[in-house]
Amino acid sequence: MTDRLTRRSSRARFAPLALVVLLGAAVLLRPGDDGGALLLANPDRTQVAELQAAFAALPEAPLVLVGLDADLGTYPEIRVAVRAALADLLARDARLAFVSFTPEGRAIASAELDRLERGGFGEDELLDLGFIAGAEAGMVRAVTDLLSDGVEGSVADAIRVADVGMGAFQLVLVVGGGEMGPRSWVEQVGTRLPGLPIAAIVPTFAQPELAPYVRTGQLVALLATLRDGAAYAADVGGGEAAEQVPSALAMLLGMLIALVALGRTLAASLWGLGPVPGEGAGTSNRRRGGGRERDDATADAADADVEAAPERAAEADAAAETDPGDEAEPASDAEREADAR
Amino acid sequence: MRRSLPGATIVVVGLLLLVDYIIINPALATLADLILELVVLLAAAAALAGGVALVLRHWTELVERRGDPPGSLALLAGFTVILLAGLYPGSSGSTDPAVRWIVAALLTPLIAALFALLFIFLLGAAGRGLTIRTREGTLMLAAAAAVVVLLLPLGGSAGDWLADAADWTLAVPIGGAFRGLLIGVAIVTAVHAARVLLAVNGAEE
Repeated sequence: MTDRLTRRSSRARFAPLALVVLLGAAVLLRPGDDGGALLLANPDRTQVAELQAAFAALPEAPLVLVGLDADLGTYPEIRVAVRAALADLLARDARLAFVSFTPEGRAIASAELDRLERGGFGEDELLDLGFIAGAEAGMVRAVTDLLSDGVEGSVADAIRVADVGMGAFQLVLVVGGGEMGPRSWVEQVGTRLPGLPIAAIVPTFAQPELAPYVRTGQLVALLATLRDGAAYAADVGGGEAAEQVPSALAMLLGMLIALVALGRTLAASLWGLGPVPGEGAGTSNRRRGGGRERDDATADAADADVEAAPERAAEADAAAETDPGDEAEPASDAEREADAR
Repeated sequence: MRRSLPGATIVVVGLLLLVDYIIINPALATLADLILELVVLLAAAAALAGGVALVLRHWTELVERRGDPPGSLALLAGFTVILLAGLYPGSSGSTDPAVRWIVAALLTPLIAALFALLFIFLLGAAGRGLTIRTREGTLMLAAAAAVVVLLLPLGGSAGDWLADAADWTLAVPIGGAFRGLLIGVAIVTAVHAARVLLAVNGAEE
């Protein structure tokens, strides 16, 4: 019994290492260009086509406002699509102004601007409008008063000349995931500037909330799943963006590991099969019929411990009587232990 | 019937902004802009007060050796570095290259790395959740497992079928439940707003 537990324990110790090696191999082994048996992109291209149509409808050298308020936890899911969309817009000679209404969004916008500037784009194409405080109130105010006094550059000049705040832009691309997502944009900006098209890229969890806005036309396009993002990046992103799409094999392996783990815990919970999660190695899984029974050895050890506790308390009492100068802490500890058991 | 100052303020400000939204009037627009500016300033002041309270709390804990001194030290050091980068003479504030570098090269990767551990922690939490043996927990994890199956990145006709099923699941059952929740929340909010406007007893509790 002890040998078996020791073997199981040593195997368990290598499990995380095996997981890391497995995932590393999966990342390195990418599928072929045609996807083969693995395919991340959504075969339904409706959402991709809508975003491409929204971009195609833009005039020459358009002004596009990028509302970047993603969440750091979910941004990796949409990063590929966002970068592909920004590259697509810049390829169409668009001038991009970035604004954020959440601190997290500001951090991501800062990182993306830094990346674009390192890619050779300057103040003729990019404008950093920074972080605007006040959540919805700040957004409403920004509809008419977007530029602060110190902001300069050719993009800022174009907005200033138009003198209509957000009305100067031909498109708003909202990158959501945080508190101030496309819904806030539709409610606060869309209602005040109904002629300004709003497109959005968000993580999957936001799709059920935003899908109705696409049907009503309040959002002209919505990319809301990793599959849609991968399909869009593969269509328009070119080689660099396609390289950034997560490895389908790595995702498949990670998901299979998750499924195995979930399946084992579910099987243990529903039918008493496999080890009970959260219980120690010394416990068994004899829980058929819905009950939870302790392993005999563990139960015996625990019972023996309970029986021994009063004896230990008596010994401690005796020790305390023998040595009156010593505090009676050991005795009281043993008594507490016995009481607790 | 009782009407407190916060309730009255909410009613007046809400009505003013609503009227400004409906009626085009320069004087009303100026007043609405002023209120919005006040709200923005209040939000900024609240954020500032939060920052000051955070620093004071961790400074006290560091000096009195309570709580987690290394953590407090790291927080204060990070706070100092980002303030120095954003406030040194000649700095352009949050758009300064130094601030951008700290955010892009340190903060974002660190937080992203923390979130990357979610996969492992979620699996651990799923296991622990099932040890409690609640029906809801089991149902939630079974649904999660079904969604993971639907999202498997497979090619061919099996992959197409899974993708279609995933789209349908997202649009119909999940979308329906989600919209039902949203409509319920909207109705409750509207009822509560009406109770505040009409100063019905208990509406401000």
